[in-house]
Amino acid sequence: MLSFLLIILVSIFFMGLVIRTKSLASGRKGPGILQPMKDIVRLWKKGSVYSTTTSIIFRIAPTVYFSSIIMAILMIPHGNQPGIISFGGDFVLFAYILALGKFLMIISALDTGSSFEGMGASREALFSMLVEPAFFIIMGSLALFTGHTSFYDMFSVLNYGSYISYLIGALSTFVLILIAMIENSRMPVDDPKTHLELTMIHEVMILDNSGFDLGVILYCTPLKFAMYGALIANFFIGSLPLQISLPLFFAIQIVFAVTVGILESFMARFRMSHNPQFIFILTSVSLLIFFGVLLVLGKFI
Amino acid sequence: MEVSQIVLVTLFVFLGGIIALSVVSEKHRALIAIIVVVINALLTSIPSVLALSGQVQLGTLLLPHLPGQVINVRIDSLSAWFILIINFTSINGALFGSGYLKSYQHLKTNIGFHWIFYILFHISMIWVCMFDHGIIFLISWELMSISSLMLVIFEYQNKATLKAGINYMIQMHLSVVFLTMGFIWLYTETGSFNLSSLASVVSNNHSIWIFVLFFIGFAIKAGFLPFHTWLPHAHPSAPSHVSGVMSGVIVKLGIFGIFRIISYINHDWFIIGEVILSLSVITALYGIINAAVKYDFKKSLAFCTIENIGIIGIGMGLGLIGIGTQNEIIAILGFGGALLHVLNHSLFKSLLFFSAGSVYQQTHTRNIEKLGGLIKTMPVTAFFFLMGALAIGGLPLFNGFISEYLLYSGLFKGLLSGTGISHVILIVLSIVGLVMVGGISIISFTKLFGVMFLGNPRTELQHEPREASFIMLFPQYIIVALMLSIAFFPQFYFGHVLDIIHSTFPNLVALNNVQIGVINTNLTTIGHLSLYFILLLLVAFVVRFILLRKRKISSCETWGCGYVAPVPKAQYTGRSYARSFGNLFGFVVIERKNFKRISKALLYPTSRKFSTYYFDLLEKYLVMPLMKRISFVMNYFQFIQNGKIQSYVIYGLFFILIVFIGTVFHLIK
Repeated sequence: MLSFLLIILVSIFFMGLVIRTKSLASGRKGPGILQPMKDIVRLWKKGSVYSTTTSIIFRIAPTVYFSSIIMAILMIPHGNQPGIISFGGDFVLFAYILALGKFLMIISALDTGSSFEGMGASREALFSMLVEPAFFIIMGSLALFTGHTSFYDMFSVLNYGSYISYLIGALSTFVLILIAMIENSRMPVDDPKTHLELTMIHEVMILDNSGFDLGVILYCTPLKFAMYGALIANFFIGSLPLQISLPLFFAIQIVFAVTVGILESFMARFRMSHNPQFIFILTSVSLLIFFGVLLVLGKFI
Repeated sequence: MEVSQIVLVTLFVFLGGIIALSVVSEKHRALIAIIVVVINALLTSIPSVLALSGQVQLGTLLLPHLPGQVINVRIDSLSAWFILIINFTSINGALFGSGYLKSYQHLKTNIGFHWIFYILFHISMIWVCMFDHGIIFLISWELMSISSLMLVIFEYQNKATLKAGINYMIQMHLSVVFLTMGFIWLYTETGSFNLSSLASVVSNNHSIWIFVLFFIGFAIKAGFLPFHTWLPHAHPSAPSHVSGVMSGVIVKLGIFGIFRIISYINHDWFIIGEVILSLSVITALYGIINAAVKYDFKKSLAFCTIENIGIIGIGMGLGLIGIGTQNEIIAILGFGGALLHVLNHSLFKSLLFFSAGSVYQQTHTRNIEKLGGLIKTMPVTAFFFLMGALAIGGLPLFNGFISEYLLYSGLFKGLLSGTGISHVILIVLSIVGLVMVGGISIISFTKLFGVMFLGNPRTELQHEPREASFIMLFPQYIIVALMLSIAFFPQFYFGHVLDIIHSTFPNLVALNNVQIGVINTNLTTIGHLSLYFILLLLVAFVVRFILLRKRKISSCETWGCGYVAPVPKAQYTGRSYARSFGNLFGFVVIERKNFKRISKALLYPTSRKFSTYYFDLLEKYLVMPLMKRISFVMNYFQFIQNGKIQSYVIYGLFFILIVFIGTVFHLIK
């Protein structure tokens, strides 16, 4: 429960921090921390315009997408406090329920009959397929490392002994940050601020969404960021008591948001055809993590 | 009634069915066929249910001409599981088929024969599960292959269909050849034709080759990798209810055979498990990568069947590894995942083929690029296809997730109990493979559903598609209900699967009840979570409804980026959707273009054609060259079959001579 509330809280100011960092990096003052959230709330108060081509799929997809992310957030623990949902192998459900939301979003993009949105849908499906192995290999390494297969057990047992295990933590953080960037269609693979539909992924999928539904979809981005941030935070919280873990959690989320802002400010978007290679790098880095774990456990014979 | 009597009764019901089908008028043929299938299904389901509840049904038939004389008829829990799946899918197939064939009413004789072969097909599949004696087993196996061949070539006037049928027939007979060799070897080794005598040969060091023979024989039926080439041809050519049943159950009989033989292995589990696991991961990946790029929706579904066979194989390989490493929990998760996936796949694949069949019946095309916007004219069919697509991707709320969850748990447990680096790496690569299969199946099914049912119609169809008739929709409702029951109450099905594993693999060491309890609670949790997720969805929808109730909802055209004359053909097509994926996996799925270059002498443009297609890499570069070489060599032996009766008589003489010389010189004992 604690972790759920924390993630919701962080999601409110996360995008504000990212945008503030980007503004400062480009020498502007930038909007207030809560401005992106205010924009989303403004959208929530609006009506909608639907395309005549669309069917019921288009109307239900944003809500399913949102609910799937909420469901996934419910599984994330906070240090030694388990998430609301916790059972052996819950990260499989975590990944698959996110995929359910994505499936609906992809077909809702195809529902509009627009070639731009089809293009975005195709890219989203391809890139999220490529990202998935990295996440599962990290989870596999953690499972091997700790001997457990649920988020809560893995993170509460996780403690660093040797230098290599610090390296494993650092690499996992790196991979999770990039997974978060790709899943949210941020800078190195996609630029949400671009105004050319041909180069977009997620933004072009939701061209036809408007009003309330658009607000729901836009709110999912900070939610997902905060969710991955909480996963990263769990690498470092371990079983620390609450008075240390809470400030640490916020500190990590803020650092995460600032990192995202800095990455977006100083990195250029890749050419679309280079994205798969980049995403495959994540899988190979996570394989490095896996071998690191094997090394720590002395399984290299 | 004893189970051997039941076999005889099913035979008489089948014969009665043939007579009834030949005397009644055309209108009632489908009804008769349904009745016969239902009677046979009921007759065989009763002992199966008893067998599942722990009482193995045994019986004997006396056939004095055959070696061994006594034919064992046996329904244990493994065959009961498959028999129940066969019965369920066949009844649904018959119901759907009775509606589907209405549009072929002008082919009167075809339909009569079709139903005769359908009831034979159903009952022969059940016989395969019942008989232990090799010769009877092979006869049932052959009946099954022949009858399904006749079902596949329903539209034999179509050349492509006939070609696919012949391809199917040859490959099925290759399977029979391997099985026959296996049985003969078994007989020379043990003096018994019974499949169960496999358990007594395995101490020999060449027993592994008997296993390999049987494995290849069954793998051809199941569609494991180099032997998969019949599937993508046979499934699209067959009428949809037949493809549904074939994909749902006939390939599962190959799985059934493999389950049978691996239950008799009593050594080398670990290495066999690793081989099956690697082969299955490759099969699954190859199947789904091909499924993602195909334009023909039934072909795509056929490749997807190969993928699912791979997933089932992953479970079997994992189970064997579990036995080999003395880790019964891995074995249970592996075999349990495999058996549940057999059931799950038979459900959602027949659902997908049925709903795709409804689309084909209405639109008369299998090319997804010509479809679009069908959700508006066929909403219920679209709903069923979506259910099947979500379930086959292993997404939560549906049954596919349950079996994939078991497999993932097993793989992760296998990772933890690793013995040696190569094993751990194999397991982690299998996890990566399974994850990628899940991701790619999302690509292929968003493509199929999105292009077929959403957007605007891409071409003008001959007539406006209408919703399928009730008799075609009815079985799909039942399938969806069963699918959801698995998703919400997985522990019930897992309990049965557990019993099957108990009785089929007696080699498993004493079961660790605590860990099984943990799996059971996890499954129960998943079932509950699915319910909670639905509640969450409902709450979200209600909130959305209340908020939007009084607001202004307007509609207009899709935003065209300023372009004012959008045409439906400019929509994203299946090809463009899968293009970047196809490029990425270009080493597996190679795209070819069909067009004529414009010659320089051509002054005025004429109408031209351009098309692209993806071909099956293994078929083109492995199977076909091999076949070409074989038929080239076989040409030299053509003189043997020259059509002259005189030379055939001489062959007989030669044979007698050889036997005579052999006996004289004690070459033949």
